[in-house]
Amino acid sequence: MPTPPPLPSLFEPLRAQFLQLAQEFSTDARPLSEMLGGIVADVERACAEPLEMFPVKHHSPAAAVHLLRRLRERPPKVIFMEGCEDMQAEFAKLGDCRLPVAIQAFAAKVDYSNLPPVEGRREPSAPLSLVMPLTEFSAEFQAIAYAHATGTELRMVDRTADHVFQWTRDPEYIAPEEPDASDEPAGDEAKMHGGAVGVQLGELRPTFPRFVEVLLQKARVQHYSEWWEQYVEQPLFSADFDTYRQVLFMIGSLVRRLGQNTVDKTEDELRERYMWTRIKTHLNATGIAPRDALYICGAAHTASHVPEFGTASPTLWDIPPVSATKWLYGVLPSSYASIERQFGMPPGAVCLAEATWKRQLSLQQCQAYKIEDKPTLRARPKKSASTPPSSVSSVPAEPANRLQAYLATPPSPLSENHDELLQWSTQVTSLARKDGYLASTADSIAIYQTSVLLAQLRNRHHPTPYDFRDAAVTCLEKDRVPKKRDIRKICDILLGGDRIGKIGYNSLPPLAQNIYDRLKILPVNLEARTIQRALLDLRAHPEYRACSELLWKLRYLVPPAVRPIMGQLVLGQTSEQESWDLSLGKFQGQLVELGYEGITVESVLERRLTADAYAPEATTSVALDVIEKCLLLMRSERLAEDFGARATHLLVSADNVGDAPEVYSRTQKLVHYYRGTSDGVPIWLGNFVQTGYRHYCAQLPLAFTDRGVKPEDLASMLRFIFTLESLALSFGCQRSELLIAVRQASTADDPVKLGLLWCAENVLQLRRIADLRAYFENVLANELLLPRLPEYLSGFLLGLAFAPGLTGFTVELLSRTFAELPETKLMPWLPQLFRVLRTHGAASLPILIKEAGALFPRTLSDLQPWTPPWEAQSQSQSQVHSASPANETIIKPLPTTTSPQVLAASSLLAQYPATTNAMAVLLGVDVIRPEVA
Amino acid sequence: MPSIPSNKKPEADRTMLRPPAEAKYAEELAYLLSIDKHPKPFTWKLSPRVVRLFILGSQPGDKLDRPIVQKFFGDSGTVERAIVTLASDRGLLLIGDPGTGKSWLAELLAAAICGDSTKVVQGTAGTVEDHIKYSWNVAMVIAKGQSHQSLIPSPLMTSMKAGTLGRFEELTRCSSDVQDALISMLSEKYIAIPELDQDNIVFAEPGFNVIATANARDRGVNDLSSALKRRFNFVQIPIVKNQKTEREIVTFRTQELLARNAFSIDTPPALLDILLQTFADLRETSAAETSEEGRLESALSTAEQISVLEDAILYGHFFGDTQLRPDVLARSLVGSLVRRMPEDISILSKFWHAVVAKRAREHGGEWKDFESGGVQALGLGAKEKEAAAGKKTK
Repeated sequence: MPTPPPLPSLFEPLRAQFLQLAQEFSTDARPLSEMLGGIVADVERACAEPLEMFPVKHHSPAAAVHLLRRLRERPPKVIFMEGCEDMQAEFAKLGDCRLPVAIQAFAAKVDYSNLPPVEGRREPSAPLSLVMPLTEFSAEFQAIAYAHATGTELRMVDRTADHVFQWTRDPEYIAPEEPDASDEPAGDEAKMHGGAVGVQLGELRPTFPRFVEVLLQKARVQHYSEWWEQYVEQPLFSADFDTYRQVLFMIGSLVRRLGQNTVDKTEDELRERYMWTRIKTHLNATGIAPRDALYICGAAHTASHVPEFGTASPTLWDIPPVSATKWLYGVLPSSYASIERQFGMPPGAVCLAEATWKRQLSLQQCQAYKIEDKPTLRARPKKSASTPPSSVSSVPAEPANRLQAYLATPPSPLSENHDELLQWSTQVTSLARKDGYLASTADSIAIYQTSVLLAQLRNRHHPTPYDFRDAAVTCLEKDRVPKKRDIRKICDILLGGDRIGKIGYNSLPPLAQNIYDRLKILPVNLEARTIQRALLDLRAHPEYRACSELLWKLRYLVPPAVRPIMGQLVLGQTSEQESWDLSLGKFQGQLVELGYEGITVESVLERRLTADAYAPEATTSVALDVIEKCLLLMRSERLAEDFGARATHLLVSADNVGDAPEVYSRTQKLVHYYRGTSDGVPIWLGNFVQTGYRHYCAQLPLAFTDRGVKPEDLASMLRFIFTLESLALSFGCQRSELLIAVRQASTADDPVKLGLLWCAENVLQLRRIADLRAYFENVLANELLLPRLPEYLSGFLLGLAFAPGLTGFTVELLSRTFAELPETKLMPWLPQLFRVLRTHGAASLPILIKEAGALFPRTLSDLQPWTPPWEAQSQSQSQVHSASPANETIIKPLPTTTSPQVLAASSLLAQYPATTNAMAVLLGVDVIRPEVA
Repeated sequence: MPSIPSNKKPEADRTMLRPPAEAKYAEELAYLLSIDKHPKPFTWKLSPRVVRLFILGSQPGDKLDRPIVQKFFGDSGTVERAIVTLASDRGLLLIGDPGTGKSWLAELLAAAICGDSTKVVQGTAGTVEDHIKYSWNVAMVIAKGQSHQSLIPSPLMTSMKAGTLGRFEELTRCSSDVQDALISMLSEKYIAIPELDQDNIVFAEPGFNVIATANARDRGVNDLSSALKRRFNFVQIPIVKNQKTEREIVTFRTQELLARNAFSIDTPPALLDILLQTFADLRETSAAETSEEGRLESALSTAEQISVLEDAILYGHFFGDTQLRPDVLARSLVGSLVRRMPEDISILSKFWHAVVAKRAREHGGEWKDFESGGVQALGLGAKEKEAAAGKKTK
C-alpha cells in the first residue's frame, strides 16, 4: 500500500493503482502518470463541488434513467442545464409535439454591425439555422419534462445561438464519427434538418482520431457508440448514482485530456466560462444555496479548468455581447436518422438507444416524465416533491470510491435474453423475405447460431444488437440486394426503426396554424405523413375555391408539400375541378420555417415577390413574371401596378436586349389577359408597352449592326413592336419613330438580320416583294451567293411571326429553290436547310405549311393545268412594270389565282354584284363597276 | 494410388517457390497452438480468437511473447464473420473484386484452422463434376475393377475424410451443373460412390467445411443456384480505399515477394506515395467515366499495385543501378495497365496529361521523373500502335 499523502482522499488507492500502471506500461512514466493522476484529481474535484453536477452524454438512456431517479429522490430548487439559453422559451411548445423534435433558431440576415471586429472571425453567410434535437430518452428532455410537470425552475445556461456562430470557425464542418457512415446517400428522413448546424447537450465524443482508433481496437467494437453502449451505458444502468457520476466524471476527463483537438477545447472553454458565469450570477441573485441546485452538463465539461469553474471561485466572465442579428425560434419535426446523420453516429444508434430506454424503464419500474399539454397529471412527481429538503442534507454523505470497482471488474454480462434474440432471428427472416430475399427458418437458426458465435469471438457473454446485425448480414446477404432495402437496413427497422417527430397544432407558428385552419374543410387528413389526394370539385363545392387558391400559393412557396395532379393556374382561366397531392405532414418542417418569414401566407408571398422583383440582378422578364404570379396568386392590381412600374424601369435601364423573347411573350400574355377583362388594359401596362415600343424602336438600328444581338432577340423586338403597335399608338407613340428607326437600320452583313430587315421593311411598305424576288433570282443563279440562301431563309422564317404578308414569298422562294437548283447543288444544301428549319421552324412552319397548302394544287387533276402563281404574277407584273414608274412603292394586290373554285366564285360574284356593292358602301369604298373589273 | 499429395506437413527446409501459408508461418502457428487455451470447435487446431489473432496480427497490449504479424489487412468484422461461418453449418463464400485478397484470406483461414491450405479445387470453365467429387484411375480399373484403390478422391473428398477445410477457387467460373455438385457435400455432408457395391459412401468428419471464392466481376456469367446460395454465407471483401492500409499491404507483400529473390530493398516512401496516389487518381477517373469504353480494363486493385512495384524493383535491381527510379516505376505501371492496345493507351495518355502532369507541376521532384517516364512509355506504345495500324508516322 502506498503511504497516504497529508490529505488522505477517497480516490487515493485508485491514484496509486494508476501510477503503478503507468510505471509498468510506459517507458517514460511521467507524462502518463501525470495524466492519470490528473484524471483522478478531476473526478475528485467534481465530486467535491457543492453544486451538484450531473454529467450526461447526448441521447444516453442511462443518463436519463439516473436523472429520473435523482430528481425523484431529491428534487432540486433550480436546474441549470447546458444548452442555448435563448432556446428555452420554445420548451413551452413541446407539450403538443411527438418526439423527436428539434428546437430551431433561425436568422434570415446576419448583422454584426454592433460587434467590435475580431481578427480571424468569419462572418457566417445567411441564413443561419441552428437545431437542437430532443429525444424522449435523453436526460435533457427528462429534465425539461420534470421542470414542466413540477414547476421547478429550469435555466439553460449555455451560450446563445448567436454566440455559436460567432465562435465557430467553420460552422459547416461536423466531423463524422465513422467515415463510411456518410457513404450511403441519405434518405428523405435523414435530411429533415436541412443545412442547419446542430448543437446537442452533453457532446461526449472524442474528436482525436488516433484515440478513437485505439479505443475501438481494444474493445473489439466498430463504432464509438457501440463502445459506449457496451462499456458505459449497459453497466451503468444497474449502478448506483455515485458510481454513475464518478464514471462519467472520469470518462469526461479522459475525453477532455486525450480525445479532443485544440479547436474543440478552445470552444468548450469559452462555453464553460459562459455557463459558470450564468450559474453563479443566478445563484447570487436568487440566494439559492448551491447544494439545492443541479447542474446538468456534458461529462467533458466537468473536467474543465477555466478560472470560473466552481461555486467557490468568485471569478465571473464578462460575457461577450450578442450581435444585432435578429433571431427567430421554432420547433421543427426531427427524426432519428437526421440526428444520426447530423452528429455522425452510425446508422441505427439512436433507435437502439430507444429500445434500451424502453427495456430499462420496465426493468427498473421507472416512470418517465412526459410533457402533457394540460398538466393535470401531477400526482406522481408531487409525491416526491413533497419529500422535504431534509433529504438534501443527506446528499453528499459518503461519496464512496466506486470507480475502482467499476474499472477492475469486467462489464457485467448483459442479461441473457435468448427469447429476444430468437425473436429477432425469426423476425429478420420474415422481413427479409418481404424484401425479396430467399430467407427461411434455416436462416433463422443460422443467424441465431452465428450471433452467439460472433459474441463469443468478440469476448461477450451475450450477443449485442450489433453482433446480431453482423450475423444477419453474414447469413442473409448474398451477392446482390433484391429490392430497395439491404439486410443492414432491415435490421435497423427490426431493432426499432426510425421515428419521425411531429409538431402539434398548438406548437406551430401562426402561419402554419393558419394554413391548417384554412385547409380544414378539405376531406383529407392533413397531418398524415403519407401523400393525401384531395379532389376539389369547385362547382359542387364553391367553398373549396379558397382552399384551391391557398394551395396554389403553397405550391409556389413550398413546392414539395403540395403537388397539383389536375388543374392549372392560367391567367384568365378558372378551374372547375382540381386534384392535389398533399404531403403537409411530411414537410411540416418547411411550413415551420416559412413561419419565420411572416404571419400569413399572403404576407410571405408578397415579401417574396417583392424581393424577386427588386433584386439587384432582376431583369424585365423577371419583373413581368412576378406580375403574372401576383395576378394569379394574389389578385392584387395594386401590387401589379407597382411591379409594372418596376418592369418599365428595368426595361429602360437594361443594357442589352437579351431577354426580348421572354419580354415579348410575357407582355403579350398580359395584354391578352387584360383585353379579356371588363376594365381593359390598365394604364401601367399601356405605359409599359408604349415604353417598350419606344425603347425597342430606339434600339433597332444598333441591334441590326451589333453582332452581340442574336437574330432571335432582334426578331422578338420586331415582333413586340409590330404586334403591340396598335396598343402603343393608342398610348401616344408615333409610327414615325419606327419608320425612322427602320430606315436608319443599315443592312448589316449578317444575312439572317438582312432577312429580318426586309421583312420589317415589307410590313412598313418600304420594300416590295418584286424587289425581293429579283434579288433572289440573282442569288439562285449565282453559285457564290447560293450558300447564304439558308441564312436568308432563316431570317424570313423568323420574320414570318410579325410579317405574315411574306409567307407566300417564302413558300415561293423555297419552291423555286427546289425547282430550279440542280440536284448536285441541292443535295449538299439540304442538311443546312433542315438545320435552319429545326431551329427556327417551330413557330413559322405551321403558317408556312398552311400557305403552301393554299398555293399548291390539292388534287392530281389540278396539277396538270397548274402554273405556280409567282410565274403568272411575274409575267403580268413585267407588263405592269414596264408601264409604271420605276420607284413606285405601292404594292399591287396579288392577282387572282387560277384555281377553278376561285374562278367560279369570282364569276358568281361578278354576276350578282349587289352583295359586294353593299359591302363596299358600308366600308366607304367606291363601288366598282363590274365591267371595269 | 491417389495422385493427390498426402497431407503431410511441407518440410520447412525444402525450398519452394511459394510455400503455403502453413509452411511459411509454421513457427507462428506452433507458438499460437502452444498458448491457445480457448475452447476449440470440432477438430480445429486453433480457437476462433487465436485464428483471428493469427490473421489480423497482435497488438502491443496482447502481452504475447512474440509479435504476430498482420497478414490480412481489412476490416476485422469481415474476418470475424468469416471465422464464425466456418464454425457453423454453412460454407463460406468470399466474394469481391479481383485482387482484393480473397484467396489469400481463404488460405490463411485454412492454414490456421486445420493446418492445411492445399486442398484446393480450381474452378475453371473446364471443371467437371469429377474434379469436385472423385475420378478413377483407368488403368487400375481395367486391371482390378472399381474399388477404393482405383478411386482418385478430389481434394474436397480428401478434406471430408480428414475433417479439414477444402477450398474452391473461382467457384463462379464453373458451369452451374458442376457447381451444384457441391450441394450434397454441404448439406448432407457425404459423397455417395454408386459404382462401388459396398462401403460406398464417404462421410465427412467433423470440422469439414468449404471456403469458396468468387469474383464479383464474373457476376452473371454462371450464377449460383438458389439452393447453393442458401448453403453459403457470403462475405464481401471490399476494395481497400484507405491509402494508409493500402500502403501497409503493398509494402508487406512486396517485401515478401522480393524475399524469394533473396534480396530486400527499401522502397523510397516518396515513390510509394506516387504509386498509391496514381492508383487512387486512376480509380477516381475510372469511377467518373460513364462508358465502359473509357475505363481501363484493369480492376486497379491493390494486387496490381504490388505487381507494378515488384516489377519496377526487379527491373531496377537487375538492369538498373539497383535503385528504384521513378521513370522505371512509370514504365512498369504503363506496361501492366495497358492491355487493350489502342484503347488503354489513349485512356492512359489522357490521364497522364490531365492528372499526372498536374501533380508533377505541383509537387515537382520525383513526380517530374515519373511523368516523363510515363510519357516515354506511352509514346513508345503509341508508335507501336500506329505501326500496327499501318499508318505512316512522321
